[in-house]
Formats: sequence, C-alpha cells, structure tokens
Amino acid sequence: MYLKLSVLFAALFFASCATNAPECGGPQSKNLAAAIDGTQTSLINGCHAHFDRYYDDLLSIAEGDPKPENKQAFSEFLVWSSDQGLLSKRQAQDYYNRYFNVKFMSMKGDYNNCSHTCPNKQRVLFNMERELSEKERGLLNISLDSESYYRADQLYQEVELVLEATCTACSAGS
Amino acid sequence: MRNTPTRSQAAFLEPTSRRLHHYFCLALLLIGTAVFAAQEAFANTPTIRLFPTTVVEDLRQTGNVARDMETGLQEVIGRLDQQQELYTESKCDGAENDSGCQRLARQIGATYLEMLTIMEERLPDMEHTVNNTRNSLEKGLRNELGKKMTPWTLQETLIGGNASKTDAKAAPTLRGRSGMRLSERFKQYYQLVATSGAKGDQSLAVLASDIYLDMEETSLLIQRTRQEIARATLMEQLNQSFGIITPEMVEVVGGVKSILFGDADNTALVASPPPGSIEQAYRSPLEQ
Repeated sequence: MYLKLSVLFAALFFASCATNAPECGGPQSKNLAAAIDGTQTSLINGCHAHFDRYYDDLLSIAEGDPKPENKQAFSEFLVWSSDQGLLSKRQAQDYYNRYFNVKFMSMKGDYNNCSHTCPNKQRVLFNMERELSEKERGLLNISLDSESYYRADQLYQEVELVLEATCTACSAGS
Repeated sequence: MRNTPTRSQAAFLEPTSRRLHHYFCLALLLIGTAVFAAQEAFANTPTIRLFPTTVVEDLRQTGNVARDMETGLQEVIGRLDQQQELYTESKCDGAENDSGCQRLARQIGATYLEMLTIMEERLPDMEHTVNNTRNSLEKGLRNELGKKMTPWTLQETLIGGNASKTDAKAAPTLRGRSGMRLSERFKQYYQLVATSGAKGDQSLAVLASDIYLDMEETSLLIQRTRQEIARATLMEQLNQSFGIITPEMVEVVGGVKSILFGDADNTALVASPPPGSIEQAYRSPLEQ
C-alpha cells in the first residue's frame, strides 16, 4: 500500500515538473517582428532568466535583415521589458545604448576623472573597445547607421587621446 | 491749422502709427526672445577654459624661438650636407688615412661642432617656452577636464551638441606631425588656438590634449638633447685631432634635420571614414 502511494506521489511529482517547466527555446522566426512577439511570450511565461540569450538571438535575427527601423523595434522591445518589470529602467537603457547609441556606457561614473577614470584608465579603454564592437553590431550591422558608428569610433579615439593627456596632467599635479 | 490733419489723413495716420507701434513691440519681443535664448544656450553649454591668453602667447613665443633656431641651423646644416657629399664623391669611405680625406673629415667635424654650439645656445630658450606652454596646458587639463568633469560629462563635451553628426573639420588630428618644420608646427598650433573661439568645446579638449602631449614629448627630447650635446661636443673635439667621421655624427645630423625641418617620407596620412548615407530620424526614449 505504502509502496503504491509513494510510486503515485513520485509519478505526480515528475508530472508536475514536466508541466511547470517552461520551454525557453530561442525565437523560431527569422522575421524580427515575429521573433520579438515570440520572445515576449516566452519572457512573460517564465523565461525571463534567459533575457540575455533572447536579446542576443534577436540581435542575430536583425543582422539577417539590416535596416534603420530595427533600432526602433529594439527600443520598443526594451521599453516593453522595462514596463513588464523584466528589466529596470537603467538596465533597459544600458541594453539599448550599448548597441544603438554613439555614447559609451562603459564611460560612466559619478566622480571626477582624476580620481575615478585615471586610476582605471586601461580597464575603461578596454571596456570601451568591447562596447565599440557591440556598436558595430547594433549601429552598422543591424541599423545600417554607418555615420553614427564612425562617430562612435572617432569618439573612442578622442577619449583615448584626451584621457592620456588628462591623466598625465592629473598625475603631474598630485 | 494747415498742419492739422484732416479726418481722412487722421484716419490714415492712426493705423500707420499703430502699425509702427506693433512692429516696434514685435521687434522688442523678438530681440527679447533672442537674448533669452542666447542666455539659455550659454547657460546650458559647459564652457571650458583650456586656452587662456598666456597659453596663446606661449605658443606664439615657442614658434618664434623655433624659427630663430631653424634659421641659425639651416645654413650650417646645408654646409654640412655639401661637405658630406664631397667626402662621399671623393671616395673617402675606406680611405681614412688619406691626408685630403682627413682634412675633409676635420672640416665636417668643425661644422658639426658649430651646429652643436648653435643648438646649445638656442635650446634653453626653446626649453623654457615649451615648458611654459606645457605647464599652462597641464593646469587647464587637470582642472577643467580632470577635476571638474565626470567621465560622462567628458564624453558629452567631446561629442558636442550633435552626437550623430560627423564633422571631420571639427576634429583636429595633429598627433605625430613629422614632415613639418618645428616652427610651422607651432605656428599651426597658434593659429588653431587663436581661432578656437568659433569652435566647440569638443575640438578644444582634443586640441589641448594633443598640444600638451606634444609639448611633453618635445620637452623630454630637448632635455635629452641638451645632455647629449655636452657629450657629443667633447667627443668631436677629440675626433678633430684624428679627422674621423663617426656614424653617430651622421645620425645626429639626420635626427636634427628631421626634427627641425621635417621628413617628408614619414608623413602620416590619416584616413577619414566614409560619409554615412542614411538619415537617422528615430530617437529612442531610452537614448542617453
């Protein structure tokens, strides 16, 4: 009797696991709008832990059909994610600006450059370089916005030069 | 009585004066709006003081000192070139024991000493003005960009008002300007700085950084050259008695020529990015 009951409970337990675990597969469609719809459904059905992977999948799909409108599609998707509480406002801004804005999110901070940026100059520049390749993907490969991408590239070079001079000046004065 | 306007004249004059009054009020309103807008714009633009008048004056002074040095050295270096050419044409390489070749070598050595002496005389002035410029810029960069700005505000300053517009003219790329006379380089710096009022802060920050790093290198180079001159002079005074041209001599002359008069072969060409063709009207609410 006990054996039968425990087998029954075990069966029920496994069955419940099988029905509750959401399927968090990647978007099936190669059309960005459809892929975003599919992703939104998955995300609100419990796959929000896989947000990074979904975002990357969407970027790959958009790379297959690059056009200026893609930028807006990603912005709307991120605003939706923020409204749904899947991302904080700041996270949504970070996801968007890393890929679709000229300015670098890696170069942020509340303290002055002498005290904050200069001691970490190499790390800041390394992160900016990595972000530049994300901008290449978002601005150039997805949105066909070559002008903004080249401006970001120019900004990176200017920051490199200005930081070199500023940090030399900061260290000379300390 | 004659001057009193008739009713019809009065009817005509009244709207005219009223119209004038309206125009006047409208003009006042427009001027007021323009002044207010200008003040707002001025208040919103972070103005950075990287080039006080002392820096501009220092740059001009450095250019003048460099020009004087070039003028002094040009004739000596020209003579040195001729003597070296004669030495080579006379097939003196490998015939150092020949008395004629020894005499030629001594003449070259004497001209070389003359060059070193001129440099020794002029370099302290040069060092002084270069250091002045460097120190002024150093202070400006440290205070304005280093202490008054966060990384984000620095980025915003560099990018200027319009993040998506690429303005090649607004971005002075001057680093490593070999192939240009030293005085010409300072003249160009001076002109850029003197006319920088019309440019945005983003150009100024890049320009100031560029000049500062150049001054830093130049100062170090002058310091090393001054140390070397004393040693090279002593060596050459010894060589004079033997009439030898050392490879070091040839190298030093080559180095001085490339620093002062530029070396056309080393001109760095910077490729500009292809202009973007797509207009970007969309602006995300997430954009910062």
